[in-house]
Amino acid sequence: MTLQPPAAAPAPGRTVLPILEARSLTRQYRMTGEIVEAVRGVTLSVMPGEFVALMGPSGSGKSTLLQLLGGLDQPTSGEVLLEGESIGRLSDSDATRLRRERTGFVFQSFNLVPLMNVVENVGLPFTIAGQDPRSADLSARIREAIALVELTGKERHKPDQLSAGEQQRVAVARAIVTRPALLFADEPTGNLDFRTGTGILDALWRTCVERGQTIVLVTHDAKAAAYADRVLVVGDGEVQDEIVLGRREDHAAAPLISRLALLGL
Amino acid sequence: MRGFVRYAWRALAARRARTLLTVVGVALGVGVVVAALGVDAGLDASIDRTVASMVGRADLRVAAFEETGLSAGTLAQLAGVPGIAVEAPALERKSYLVSQPGRPVQTAPVTVLGVEPAVEPRVHDLPLARGAPLSGDADQTALITQTLARTDGLDVGSRLSILGMGAPVSVTVTGILAGDGPELGSAGRTVVLPIRTAMLLNVADGAPAPTQVDGVTRVDIVRASGAPVDQVAAAIGAALTLQPYVLSQPRDIAASLRASTLDVRSTMALLAAITLFAAAIMILNTMAMTVVERIRELGLLRAAGASRGQVTRVVFTQALLLGVGGSALGVAVGVVLAFAAAAWLRAGGQLAIDGPVITVWAVAAGVAAGMGVTLVAAIEPARRAAGISPVAVLRVRADLGQLVRSHTRWLVAVVAAIGVIAVLLLPGGATDLSVPLRAIAVYVLLLVAVLLTPTVLAPLARLVGLPFAALLRLEERLARASIRRDPSRTALTVGALVIGLAMVVALSAVAGSARASATAWLADVVPGDEVLTAIAPVPVGEGGVDQQVSAIDGVQLATPLASFDLAYAGTRLDAVAIRGADFLADGRLDFTAGDRTAALRAVDAGGAVILPEARAALLHVGLGDTMAVATSRGLVDLKVVGLVARSFPGRTGDAVLVGWGDALNRFGVLGADAIAVRYAPGRQADARPQVEALARQLALAASPISVVAGAVGDALDRLFGLLDLLALAAVVIAALGIVNTLSMNTLERVREIGTLRAAGMSRRQVWRSVLVEAGILGAIGGLVGSVAGVLVGLLLGGGAGAAGPVDAVPWSAVGLAMVLGVALAMLAAAQPARIASRVPIVTAVRGE
Ligand SMILES: Nc1ncnc2c1ncn2[C@@H]1O[C@H](COP(=O)(O)OP(=O)(O)O)[C@@H](O)[C@H]1O
Ligand SMILES: [Mg+2]
Repeated sequence: MTLQPPAAAPAPGRTVLPILEARSLTRQYRMTGEIVEAVRGVTLSVMPGEFVALMGPSGSGKSTLLQLLGGLDQPTSGEVLLEGESIGRLSDSDATRLRRERTGFVFQSFNLVPLMNVVENVGLPFTIAGQDPRSADLSARIREAIALVELTGKERHKPDQLSAGEQQRVAVARAIVTRPALLFADEPTGNLDFRTGTGILDALWRTCVERGQTIVLVTHDAKAAAYADRVLVVGDGEVQDEIVLGRREDHAAAPLISRLALLGL
Repeated sequence: MRGFVRYAWRALAARRARTLLTVVGVALGVGVVVAALGVDAGLDASIDRTVASMVGRADLRVAAFEETGLSAGTLAQLAGVPGIAVEAPALERKSYLVSQPGRPVQTAPVTVLGVEPAVEPRVHDLPLARGAPLSGDADQTALITQTLARTDGLDVGSRLSILGMGAPVSVTVTGILAGDGPELGSAGRTVVLPIRTAMLLNVADGAPAPTQVDGVTRVDIVRASGAPVDQVAAAIGAALTLQPYVLSQPRDIAASLRASTLDVRSTMALLAAITLFAAAIMILNTMAMTVVERIRELGLLRAAGASRGQVTRVVFTQALLLGVGGSALGVAVGVVLAFAAAAWLRAGGQLAIDGPVITVWAVAAGVAAGMGVTLVAAIEPARRAAGISPVAVLRVRADLGQLVRSHTRWLVAVVAAIGVIAVLLLPGGATDLSVPLRAIAVYVLLLVAVLLTPTVLAPLARLVGLPFAALLRLEERLARASIRRDPSRTALTVGALVIGLAMVVALSAVAGSARASATAWLADVVPGDEVLTAIAPVPVGEGGVDQQVSAIDGVQLATPLASFDLAYAGTRLDAVAIRGADFLADGRLDFTAGDRTAALRAVDAGGAVILPEARAALLHVGLGDTMAVATSRGLVDLKVVGLVARSFPGRTGDAVLVGWGDALNRFGVLGADAIAVRYAPGRQADARPQVEALARQLALAASPISVVAGAVGDALDRLFGLLDLLALAAVVIAALGIVNTLSMNTLERVREIGTLRAAGMSRRQVWRSVLVEAGILGAIGGLVGSVAGVLVGLLLGGGAGAAGPVDAVPWSAVGLAMVLGVALAMLAAAQPARIASRVPIVTAVRGE
């Protein structure tokens, strides 16, 4: 059976625009006189509902690129369009609104609030936005997000009563609960062993498949990148190659690894 | 060793702000110690100077007990005592100069000192600025002080007219005494006369002039060379049989002056020690944070072959640098603080202090305290640092319970060290064991409060978080989460605040009760709306001042009062002469035993006494007992006819009350010191001007009761203001600690903050959450501090002697402590909050 990315299938008679576009993105760091160019002229686009992985060795500029795409950082030159709108020069309050409403982030460390239980941690973005997470509408969305990361039954647990993998799944639920246009994940399995990491990737995969969530995943691990529909190979601050894997339920890493080998990586 | 210093130095330089705040914290602690010692030494020096100028070359002083002074008979007995080289009698009284046209009008009294011109210079120096000394024994000549000459426009050759019991006595100024002259407590307004001339001031109109010297207030005695002081004293004791008197030696006078400042000085020492305690807690916390922060680095040092001892030395070297910096700055702070405190006290006029005396010992003690406290505070962090295993490169959060336990041990060590320091700091006159015992009880109490804080932290944070939660739900949750991240750190942060605020609350409770007990009696005891006070006894009864005042239309009652001393069972009792009928009519005095009507009538009839309850208990006398009081005419029996809750305050407690008849006829009282005036209802407004006019004419000072109460209260407020300032030093140290802790919490939470910001949290929300965190810390400090403060207040007030029961809960002070705690903590949070809100998300979430 082949699965089609739901939103990726264009409706008849309509052209589908990319949800995220980067044009000639450059990011330089000035380090004691020396200029480090972490991202060098990257152009890319992501379609709605797509699961894209940015893969490359440590220090290749993946995180910097992700931060630029997510609007956490400003490029030295170039521009980022989210749903067709430039996010290059946003004021602090507009950037905050963007993060509240249209993007979600998962990082290597989970950073749950220790005093809050799972429901409260997942509902945190609503609380931050000044909404009441206990309202019928929002609590249903929180429950749904918790179910998606398979933590139903642990709603009342505090972070210190959860395993590391479970904590990261809470962080994933927290990132998707607002139904962001884009979910960014930077090495979300970096702190976890292989088996636990698989649980996180499965959760990301489910949100993509079941909710049509667009995902940009940064990883140095081919096994993680193999979950994506498309892998962008990053090296020395540039996108060096693109490997289209298509949507596959088995997530086997072998095809990706052989393609990488062909590229000499 | 050089390597350690460099490494420790670099570690301090890496956190410049934290290092600076810590140094300032140490400096404040040291500063308070140096200032307390400087003021203490200043008081001591002033007492020594006072005693030296009071007694001069005298070995002994015989002072009159009764107002009538030492009689000619007593002086004759004294003259017969062997082993005495010089006897210098003097007669001291207060009076007024009659205003003269062309001179500034002065309403302040002068002190008149009558001396024997031939004898006095052998005992006391009377250095002259200009003019000539007194010559004849009974000349109409006088010496005045430079101060008096300046203020009153007088000089050599000026004629003075001095008010007395009868006609004014006129004299001519022959010499000007240097500066303020010989008499202390006279604000420099002193006139020195030949003793026989001075005696004329005590002669009423129409009475014959005295033929012999009598009515002397004191005789200063220089013993013959070779005669032991104790032997001379014993000989005087055997010879003087006619009158009660007080025999003292210079060291007794110094001791009694010292005793009068003991309360202030021991409270100051206690505050200094407690400020050090707060500083110690703040330093411990900072050092512990530094160790946590550098845990990996220290682990790497260990992995690279550094021994436990070397790691320990790194931490101690760091402490040493902080201690040296803090102590040096602290000495400077202390000197400034000491001068300010001395100026403040001198301006208040309550305590005689010329200025602070900064001794080498005070500086050494301050530096030792600063170094000691810093090094003791480093023990626990050093132990923790040495315990880091070489493989502990990954951050491990240690078992919190274990941390708290080791802190307990550390705190006990610090308190023991501070206890020793505090005992060394206590003023020398503290022979009374209750002073150090009370100090130790206060430490233990504060220690318990600090140690209990971690256990009550979570529920208290929830409680004080409620008001914040109502407004800022998210911020309150995040703040509480941050507070609970490291309970022992929070407990220490709050601990310093608890100590400072507890002292503020305790001082306010003690001040409140001192104020109340110093003024409450006015309403309970004084039968009047206004009090006219005289600087020298004024006649009472037939044609007396009391009758002149009662004759004014609109005055309902004018009753004379006189305070004097009674000699009973070898001790001095404060006594007040009253007219029982007036008290009966006015309904003053709260009788707890005996019939009020019968008792007040008995007092007027004579041979009766009314005792304050507390005094009766001390003397072990009860209603119906008889007290045998020593007088010039032998023992006089007084029957205890009533007990009252409270009476007029005296020097050593509430005064006993006797009738005017006994006072005048048997106890040597010359006249009234004060007249209490009660106006007829509704007549106060029109009668008062007439009363005040009469008072001016009679050289009496008229003060409404409210003004008397205000003056007493103001003097106390000034004293407690200084003590409050010292207590505030501890609160400021705590605030510095809060800056350090919040900065550290922010640093540790930077990743969490970054993630929350990525989830849409605004800068303002981050900023507010740090501020709320501080607010909660401050409120917890305020709450625990208030509870501890109320208990400390009970401890301190319980020992203050004269003071009544301390108010159960000084609510206004508790309110102040809460506001102060929350406001200071939030102020301290401003900078950390700014930093937290400005952390770029990208930096915060960057991989490890
Ligand atoms: N704030 C910064 N300042 C200076 N250099 C930086 C900064 N952040 C990243 N770099 C440099 O940019 C390059 C890319 O870093 P990063 O994007 O974190 O790579 P990756 O995520 O692929 O490991 C690295 O060489 C890194 O040292
Ligand atoms: Mg990275």
